[in-house]
Amino acid sequence: MLDRESTFAHPQIVSLLKTKFVPVALDQAYQRRQKDAEGDYYRKLAGQGPRGDFRGTTQGFYVGTAGGKLLFYNNNRDPEKLLRLMQQSLKQFADLKATEADVAAIDPGKSDVQYNPTPPEGGLVVRVRAKVLSGYEATEDRWQKIFQNAISRDNLWVSVDEHQALCQGNVPRSLQMRIAKYHLVDNTRGEPPMWRDAEVRDVSMKLEDGLLTGQAHLETADGKRGFQVALRGHVVCKSDSIVRLDVIAKGEYWGEGQYTRNAPPGKFPLAVSFTLADGTDVADRIPPQGSRGWVRGYLR
Amino acid sequence: MSGVACIDWFRKSRVTLGLFGCMLLSVAGTVHAEVSEDEFQHLHQLLAPSADTVWRSIPWKVELLAAQEIAARRQLPIFIWAMDGHPLGCT
Repeated sequence: MLDRESTFAHPQIVSLLKTKFVPVALDQAYQRRQKDAEGDYYRKLAGQGPRGDFRGTTQGFYVGTAGGKLLFYNNNRDPEKLLRLMQQSLKQFADLKATEADVAAIDPGKSDVQYNPTPPEGGLVVRVRAKVLSGYEATEDRWQKIFQNAISRDNLWVSVDEHQALCQGNVPRSLQMRIAKYHLVDNTRGEPPMWRDAEVRDVSMKLEDGLLTGQAHLETADGKRGFQVALRGHVVCKSDSIVRLDVIAKGEYWGEGQYTRNAPPGKFPLAVSFTLADGTDVADRIPPQGSRGWVRGYLR
Repeated sequence: MSGVACIDWFRKSRVTLGLFGCMLLSVAGTVHAEVSEDEFQHLHQLLAPSADTVWRSIPWKVELLAAQEIAARRQLPIFIWAMDGHPLGCT
């Protein structure tokens, strides 16, 4: 979140990424574990940096060559420092060009399916965004301002059976629970805690003449974190396929998670939007955060 | 009606129906207000991504070997943004 609005909003960094580099964004928790050619290539590059123990996180910024030589690793959020490193790496790369000239593309071979999940065949990908609407205390802190204005992004996967049920005017229980547990969350300041089954105190959604309405009450056992929310949206099906799905969930959220500190005090309004993905955004291809490590569990 | 007023009412009326009514009011109190159509339209627009978001203008790849293939073909270095959780999603 912070990198998007600071490092990758820096005009010179953005210009270099567009013209002098091939930029790639990864969830390193997948790449460092993958037992396939992609995993091998990632470990070859990252292993030359200080985070070569692949049992732990390897997050950060890397610049490397197609041949697998690491030019730099950095995990500092200072855009000016990153810019300097990028410029230095371009000089290093120029010196290496002769040795890189004959490097071939790596054959991907068979992908490790555990770390290359794909959306359910015949199902749907829905873009999910969330925003805290108000309630923050005023701040002059640059990073907190970014969090306070953030709109998050995740994807909801819908199975083929659920897709068909929606077209028949039903919102299956499995879909209601998935939306509640994994997507009615405050992920605007970092990776959020998802809801456990027992924390879904109530969820109900219905679809009548294309109008989806519903509500949910999510709350931890100790009451320290919760969300009471209403939903409204429009779902249009044509020729057995959903062609429009736009839903808004809005309610009062309270509390925070280990990685979502500095929430507004008390209860605050949070809105979550759901919009059918059309594949035009590269982020449409990213697995849902709630599916990390257990796609079957996410889709059950 | 507050909880205290409700109990007072029950004590005074001594009618079982009074308690039932209190329970109904209590349950109704947890139901969140509906989202109106105007509010839906407003929030749908508010949460849509802005066209001028700079980081989204970067031509990110999400497959490392696809990036490696381009880097080899075009003789460019690869810039990897590797995070816990996908940097383009997750949060």
